[in-house]
Amino acid sequence: MDVNLSELMAALPDDDLSSTANAAWAQEQLREILADLAQRPAPAGSLHRLWTLSELSAQIALAYLALWIRRWFSDAEASKRRLMETNLRVALKTFHRLGYLRGAMTKLGQAAGNLPGILPGQVADTLDRLHFEAPPMHYALIREVVRNEFGKESEELFLSFEKEAFAAASVGQVHRARLKSGERVAVKIQYPGIARTIDADFRNLSALVLPLRLGKDWESVKAQFEEVRRMLNQEVDYLQEAESQRLARELFRPEDGIVVPRAYPEYSGKRVLTTDYVQGLHLQDYLATNPTQASRNAFGTKIYISWMRMYYAFMPYVDPHPGNYLFLSDGSLGLIDFGCVQHYGPEERELVRMADKMAYEDPSIIPEVVQRACGVSANDPELEGYVRMMEESLDWMMEPVRQPGAFDFGDEAHFQRGVDWFSRVVRKRHLRAHPMYVYWNRSVFGFKALLYRLRAQVDVHAVVRQERPGW
Amino acid sequence: MRITAEAKSATRLRILQAATSLFVSDGWQNTTTRGIAVAAGIATGTLFNYFPTKEAIAAALVAEAMERAGEEFRAGRREEVSLEADLFSLIWSGLRHLREFRKFLAPASDTIFSPLARQSPDSPGDAIRVDHLELVEAIVTSHGFSAPRPAVTVQLYWTLYLGVFAYWAADDSPGQEDTLALLDQSLKLFVASLGIDQGRGTYGRQSQ
Repeated sequence: MDVNLSELMAALPDDDLSSTANAAWAQEQLREILADLAQRPAPAGSLHRLWTLSELSAQIALAYLALWIRRWFSDAEASKRRLMETNLRVALKTFHRLGYLRGAMTKLGQAAGNLPGILPGQVADTLDRLHFEAPPMHYALIREVVRNEFGKESEELFLSFEKEAFAAASVGQVHRARLKSGERVAVKIQYPGIARTIDADFRNLSALVLPLRLGKDWESVKAQFEEVRRMLNQEVDYLQEAESQRLARELFRPEDGIVVPRAYPEYSGKRVLTTDYVQGLHLQDYLATNPTQASRNAFGTKIYISWMRMYYAFMPYVDPHPGNYLFLSDGSLGLIDFGCVQHYGPEERELVRMADKMAYEDPSIIPEVVQRACGVSANDPELEGYVRMMEESLDWMMEPVRQPGAFDFGDEAHFQRGVDWFSRVVRKRHLRAHPMYVYWNRSVFGFKALLYRLRAQVDVHAVVRQERPGW
Repeated sequence: MRITAEAKSATRLRILQAATSLFVSDGWQNTTTRGIAVAAGIATGTLFNYFPTKEAIAAALVAEAMERAGEEFRAGRREEVSLEADLFSLIWSGLRHLREFRKFLAPASDTIFSPLARQSPDSPGDAIRVDHLELVEAIVTSHGFSAPRPAVTVQLYWTLYLGVFAYWAADDSPGQEDTLALLDQSLKLFVASLGIDQGRGTYGRQSQ
């Protein structure tokens, strides 16, 4: 077995399961699946899709998977075991089969074994590479997707349309085009049927796994699972993305130097999204120009501002992946993908306000926040552990804010503390949380990984002063 | 009395139109040659002068639609596209021309195109198969894959084509987007199989 996988298994929470044959079977299944996934390269350029969830979210998913298996054996009544065993076996196989999960799961198998000794560079690199490598669609297929969406040929709809894609996108690819009114646009086209496939697979997986009702954290885990499903569905709905983009665009003024391209709803549908074309460099190409520290800092500050502004507008940008940022020659920052934006309702907004008060004004409300955010009651024996987890998280999150002047996000030690914290959370199984936090965690790690790679120094204190609303 | 070619052609057209309308409204199973003859305003015996069975009528509808699709494909063909894209355009153009018949093609294709039926020059679907494969052969050759092709390669293509056709006939996804994906994936498989030939050095790509 791959050495990383044995470490992974060792790093996962212990239960006294080795006494039962079923547990051995389940562990063996998991080992085989992970070993298989780790050895099989993600087939980029083929039909398989890489899942959009980040490494860290996938780690949560894996921890859950292990929990499902283990809790099942410890909690289930003997009479139910046979049925549940069948369900679990099929669920594991289903999980294994999903092509677009394979990229994420492969990386997971390779990197999760490194917990907790994982290096910031590995996390940043993994978050980066986990993104899409969409297999190409030839123009004949593109034309049919466009025709399906608008009932017209792309040649009729646009003044011109480049047949070769210039970028890969979430489950599709992007083409340059020009509208008849003259604007240069980027047209994102989704591979046909993939959205419904993802939804159907998740429904099947839910149908297999959810009835198992494993463990005391089950309700919370289930809600988080549902949130992932909901967000994946949202991510492949380009009309929703156009709307998120419109809302985000309203948040920024020209003097911010943050550009959100205009979306054209009349040239967009569920599977096609047309936006203004923005010319700029991606992170890697920008870094290759050997930018000055001042330039890195300016871009880092804009990244921080954009992240905070959207968070405080209750629509956090939860996929701060390098591919979603453009470094423009005039110093502006371009934000170009709004598929993965959460839209907080009243409950989530209340939690944001509470967490904000806890972070900036009154740390004594930590237990209260934990009870609300994690669903841990006042008399739960685990409350203390959750409170400690929150204190540590807060300590890490506020480190850049506490420091006067610029904070160096290139500092490996800071990033490492965050990764260590996350590893402890997984290992101690403090997994109960409001579903909004699955993506919030992804968002925080993603944007800190971005600033880390940028080696940006940002005066976070000043950004907070500017962006924090006066609730 | 001699019947002019023009009159024959008009009667044939009437039969095809009546059949289409009955296949769509009453379904494949419930439509009879007698019913078609009545709807076309001719005697049943006369109908048999044109088509021996209702399968033959359906096959004629398919053949004509595919012929139109072939013409459209030739007219719109571009030099620079890949073999996959070329075949995709041809097949999808065919399916688009057949869209109005989709409702009855699912059950009808069972008998017209059954891969289990022995291919014979008399079977209603055989002419369609032969014409389509000839066109495909020409396209594949034009992309530098030398002929003759092994029988198994041709059979693989036809099997994939029938699979796509059958799936499309019953595909309820919006805009038949699932068929788009299936066709794309099927053609990847087929083109990859040509590459395998090349690897074996038997029926490889011609040297440039």
